[in-house]
Amino acid sequence: MSAKLPPGLALQKVDERIMTLNVGPQHPGSGHMRIIVQIDGDFIVACDPDPGYVHRGEEKMAEYRNYILNIPHLERPVIHDSCNVLYPYVLGVEELLGIEVPERAKYIRVIASELNRCIYIMYWLAIYGIFLGHSTMFMWPAGDRELLIDLMEKMSGARVTHAHFVPGGVRNDLPPNFEDVCLRQVNYFEKRIKEYAAVFYDNPILIARTEKTGILSRQDAIRLGTTGSVLRASGVDYDLRKKEPYDVYDELDFQTPVLKEGDSYARSKIPWLDMMESCRIIRNALAKMPKSGSVRVKLKPNPKGGDDSVYKRVESGRGSLGCYIVSDKKPEPYRLKLSVGSFRNLIALPYLLKGEKLGNMPSVYWSLNYWPVEADR
Amino acid sequence: MGTATGIIKALNSGIKHIAIKRFTLRYPEEKLKFVGDGYQFDPSTGVGIAGLKGRHMLFHDHCTGCQLCSIACEGVAEAIAMVKVPDQQTQNKKSIMPQIDYGKCVFCGLCVDACPFYALYMTNDYELSSFSKEGLIYTPAQLAVKPYVAQDSEIKITDRGATHG
Repeated sequence: MSAKLPPGLALQKVDERIMTLNVGPQHPGSGHMRIIVQIDGDFIVACDPDPGYVHRGEEKMAEYRNYILNIPHLERPVIHDSCNVLYPYVLGVEELLGIEVPERAKYIRVIASELNRCIYIMYWLAIYGIFLGHSTMFMWPAGDRELLIDLMEKMSGARVTHAHFVPGGVRNDLPPNFEDVCLRQVNYFEKRIKEYAAVFYDNPILIARTEKTGILSRQDAIRLGTTGSVLRASGVDYDLRKKEPYDVYDELDFQTPVLKEGDSYARSKIPWLDMMESCRIIRNALAKMPKSGSVRVKLKPNPKGGDDSVYKRVESGRGSLGCYIVSDKKPEPYRLKLSVGSFRNLIALPYLLKGEKLGNMPSVYWSLNYWPVEADR
Repeated sequence: MGTATGIIKALNSGIKHIAIKRFTLRYPEEKLKFVGDGYQFDPSTGVGIAGLKGRHMLFHDHCTGCQLCSIACEGVAEAIAMVKVPDQQTQNKKSIMPQIDYGKCVFCGLCVDACPFYALYMTNDYELSSFSKEGLIYTPAQLAVKPYVAQDSEIKITDRGATHG
């Protein structure tokens, strides 16, 4: 290489022992993102996650649509968790417009958001199973998820991307007889997910593969700014449903599971424990919900906010999910920023993978509860 | 728990499922049951009526050609176009009605929320596939037809598990 390089460019020095490997962006396991790993034999020396392949410009798109028409596209980043993605936006717009939500609508929202959390976690768990080569764990969650999708379909009319939450409540009231069907299916669902312990979580093969891999200490978890299940698997009890209760979460009885280990196994177990708490929340909310009443406040067409800004956040399936809205007295938001849990958890990946075997990469990566489309927005 | 017992326990929990009826919905033969006739909206109260958000249904005798559904769709999917219709309705002076392109529609139902004249509802019809792009465009005349949807299967939960039946 005698040719002179243009100024500002330099050749990278390559160690003979180190091989650079691109995992993704077309890899079915990585999702729409790339992980550049440098390996020495079987061990990962360095890792550089490279998201951004499914950037959709959600935040820019929101600046050209009014507060109601923003709903369908804002739930696209995570179609399995669409109620939770909309939740901070809806709460924020309500504060901007000064709307008081009916009590029954608050309970319906909590039920819908907990059902969605379970739907998301089941999908995540199915992929976690197939990442580890456990095809039963792919089929079972994918099948049992149907119980909850059926409930969401009865409730909102769509199996995914429900567009059910609106500023001022929810789009429609519950169908007749929904409470009984919901209770029956959620109880059966809880019985089913408890069976996963024998086949997956107590399975010695799974434990051997995931225990003591990718350990994130309590200090590191806080320092790197991780949220949600990753943070709680490292022993930090931080859940926005408890710490900053929104809607009616402060009236419901539930706990947030915390584990101390901080390894892949703990990170994969927290969402599963979360689902059981979600079932408890749904039962609790169904019992406490007012039996009748309004579910939506009638808004003026093209509602306008004041000269104000608002930041609201909720606990989604992947951690804290915030929405910052700036209004300038127009029907459209001046600026909308989504702050998502996926992106925060991805920051931990280079720290966790250093020194791991390449074979452990999928389990460590997916245990971070990462959803590529949400991180790219 | 030892490794051997753990593996046997895991195998056992899978083997139990041989005797249990399958949960899978055998789709073209069996079809899911839905609540109601599809998503509808009551403009007087501002609240919708629960139902599946499927293909739309247009009531020609209610539609005034006000284009509110089309304006609502502009910010979402641009699936609704207003087209001339041959039949003369007294309430529809311009004789224009929505034509919906299901290649673009995302089934959010905001057009139904926008309609103040009870003219646009959604139905349970979800089987809209076509061999051509033109086949996905439903004219006002096609949208006026009430669909027939077979609904015979719902989730049943027994002591031995859940089935579609």
